[in-house]
Amino acid sequence: MSAATTFTNTASTSANTGATPLLEIKGIVAGYGRVEVLHQISLTVNQGEIVSLIGGNGAGKSTTLMCISGILALRGGEIHFAQQRIDGTRADKLVARGLVQVPEGRRIFPRMTVLENLMMGAYCRNDRAGIAADLEKVYALFDILKLRSTQLGGTLSGGEQQMLAIGRAIMSKPQLLMMDEPSMGIAPLLVTKIFEAVRALNQEGLTILLVEQNARAALRLSHRGYVLETGRVVLADESKRLLVDPRVLESYLGE
Amino acid sequence: MSAEHTQRLAPFSRGQCIVLGCLAAAPLLERVIPSLQLSSPLRTVIVFAIMALGLNIVVGWTGLLNLGIAAFAAIGAYTFGILTCETYPFQVGFWWGILLAGIVGAFAGWLLGAPTLRLRGDYLAIVTLGFGEIVQDGLKNLEVITKGTQGINPLPAPSFFGTVLTSENNVQWFYLYLAILVVIVWLMRNLEFSRLGRQWFAVREDELAARCMAICPDKTKLKAFAAGAAMAALSGALGASLLSSTGEPSNYDFQISILALCIVIVGGIGSITGVLLGAIVMVGLNVVVLPNIAESLQRNGIGSTSNVFSAPNNYKFLIFGLALVLMMRYRPDGLIQTKKAVRS
Repeated sequence: MSAATTFTNTASTSANTGATPLLEIKGIVAGYGRVEVLHQISLTVNQGEIVSLIGGNGAGKSTTLMCISGILALRGGEIHFAQQRIDGTRADKLVARGLVQVPEGRRIFPRMTVLENLMMGAYCRNDRAGIAADLEKVYALFDILKLRSTQLGGTLSGGEQQMLAIGRAIMSKPQLLMMDEPSMGIAPLLVTKIFEAVRALNQEGLTILLVEQNARAALRLSHRGYVLETGRVVLADESKRLLVDPRVLESYLGE
Repeated sequence: MSAEHTQRLAPFSRGQCIVLGCLAAAPLLERVIPSLQLSSPLRTVIVFAIMALGLNIVVGWTGLLNLGIAAFAAIGAYTFGILTCETYPFQVGFWWGILLAGIVGAFAGWLLGAPTLRLRGDYLAIVTLGFGEIVQDGLKNLEVITKGTQGINPLPAPSFFGTVLTSENNVQWFYLYLAILVVIVWLMRNLEFSRLGRQWFAVREDELAARCMAICPDKTKLKAFAAGAAMAALSGALGASLLSSTGEPSNYDFQISILALCIVIVGGIGSITGVLLGAIVMVGLNVVVLPNIAESLQRNGIGSTSNVFSAPNNYKFLIFGLALVLMMRYRPDGLIQTKKAVRS
């Protein structure tokens, strides 16, 4: 525990001097039933960054996301988003404030068309012109979605569904986009395409929190990374340093 | 792309126009073949169509299995009875009666919905089933208010521009109910494409994903329950006016709920046109086709009601069962198929 804390501190002091934090998680504790899954996790995502959260199965990555997006209640700690405390706020309210999640396993609406799915993303918005512009942006990012716009969501391939899920999230006009395992069960070629899109979105100024099991791909893409192990942050550093860190290499990069 | 959203919605789809048009033409057929009984029994078909349209909001659009829809019809019928019957102090008349019945029904739906929000699938079905039984027993035992098994009667027939309809004016009565149905279909179609409609679909498809789209599933489900219950209550009130009595509480038993569910499933779950067709087929068989066959057989001296085998009414359940089995085998998505389900 003490080791974890030191790592967190060094990371946040060395890597982010001068950056404004968009999301700050301070010592959150959470769990299901009697089981405590997260033991005092702290992490920060700064404006304009891609931050990846890596770790093995059951490390608490998805649980962390569920806590941030308000689906799972906290047992301790605080979450701040854009300088406001958000823990305890209902999930659907957070989306309107720009905290948008692409849930694990794609979760698109299978019996709606691709266009209808995308329009669901803009559900909380009223600016017609802005919605139309964002739709074009999504189509520019994933041209396949434009081709398939009248097709039912459930008929798309896994990778296309993931693109649709990301596109749908973009339609909500996020400030912070949280992605849960976007590469899971998807053909490698499409994973590359999706990660390229994530990078492009970030270059346009979107802040991204990326949860991944595919540690190498995630660390190559992100600016900073946190390594989670059994509900604790065990490592936190700039991604390029994590990529060569012997502990990460051994445990997650298979070398 | 956004054309779809700026385009004005036609008031009715083609299918809806055809079905409603055929219904509207039914009394003409009666003119051609005078022995045919159509407009009178078709009123019952309309009552069930409205109930099934209400159930369709809950089951078809929001994906919540409700097996107690008859309870809301009962609540509507009794509200109508208490508010309009001459032995009670209110006597608000037909139109206020059906309106208030709908409002009370919506409130009842909300009451049932609130504690059951966490339930899904089988568990929700069991609770709604129980609710149906509780309402029946409640009505039976609240004798002071509901007159127990006697039912509340007489109840007023609809009045229109000062004229009160009687059993002589079956055709006008039919057209009045048809007009109410047309208004409801129009409302339903607008709901289907409204923000609320999208919310319902999203919750049906995936609750977590809906939440990620800034939709609160709990509120959405409550609205579905309330809307469905309001329509069922309205149908109950219309039915009570038709009989001039609420009938006894056991008239609103589980069989009615199942019949409404069958209408939705046979017609095509989620499709307004489908539900209308389903009501025509399922209820029409019962109140239009079989009685007319029986009558014509009797007139021609072929069958008699005393002979069990020659009375077409006795084949009701056989035909029902066969129809359901054949439907499930050859058209599992109903008569009118909405977008085909792919990968649950």
